[in-house]
Amino acid sequence: MPSDPRFLRIVRATVDGLVGSYGLSSEECVGVTLAIDEALANVIRHAYKNRYDQTIEFECLVNDRQMEFTLLDQGEPPDPARICAGPMDDVALGGRGTHLIRAVMDEVTYNQVPGGNQLKLVKRLHVSKALAVEE
Amino acid sequence: MERQLKFSARSELAAVIVDVVGQIDMGTSPALRKALLESLSGTERIAINLTEVTYIDSSGIASLLEVLQQAKRSKKRVILFGLNPSVLYVLQLTRLTGVFEIHETELQALEA
Repeated sequence: MPSDPRFLRIVRATVDGLVGSYGLSSEECVGVTLAIDEALANVIRHAYKNRYDQTIEFECLVNDRQMEFTLLDQGEPPDPARICAGPMDDVALGGRGTHLIRAVMDEVTYNQVPGGNQLKLVKRLHVSKALAVEE
Repeated sequence: MERQLKFSARSELAAVIVDVVGQIDMGTSPALRKALLESLSGTERIAINLTEVTYIDSSGIASLLEVLQQAKRSKKRVILFGLNPSVLYVLQLTRLTGVFEIHETELQALEA
C-alpha cells in the first residue's frame, strides 16, 4: 500500500472483515483493526516522516491458531524507546499508538531484515471458534 | 478519494455542539482538531457529537485531549456524547473514560 493516510480506511475495512470472519468478538475486531491501523500510521509518521509517496508491504497469514500481520517498510528504523512503550501518561497528547498495539495484540516483534524494517503482530484465535470456522 | 470526515457546528442552550461524521484517523484528525479549537474559542462549553463517528485512532484521541486541556486552561467545558461501542472501547483502552465528561445523548450533554 502507499504510505498515504487516505488508504488506511481501506486497510481497516479489509482487516475488520477478515478478523470478523475468524470468530473474534466485535470488541476484538475493533482492537485488532485499531492495532494494525496504529502500526501503519507509525510507519507513515515515524519511518517515512510523513512522506506519502513511499510503500508499505502488508501481509496477513492465518492458520487455525493465530493471525499474523507483517508490515515491511524501507524508512528510518524505529526508536527503540518508542517501540518498547514505557508507562502510559494519562494526560500526554502523543505516544498512545504503541500502547494500543501492545494492549490488543498477543505478540509484537520488531526486526531489521534485508528488506527493511519488519513488524510482526500476532493475534491468537480462540481454538474452538477457529475450528468451527474450518468446519 | 472521498473525504472520510465531516463536521459542523451549531449553537444550543449556551453551548456549541460540533457534529462529527465519519472516521477519525491520522489523515483527518488535524482538521478536526483545528475545527474543535476554533469552536471552543467562541463558547464556554463545547459538546462534541460522536454519534456518527465509526472509528477513532490515537491521533483522534490526542486531538480530543488537546481540546480538553485547552478548555481546562480557559476554565471551559468539553463534553462528549453519543459514543458508539467501538469509540468507547478505544477510550477505555487509552484509560481516558474518566478524563472526559461523557454523556449518552445530546439532551443529557446540554443539561449536565
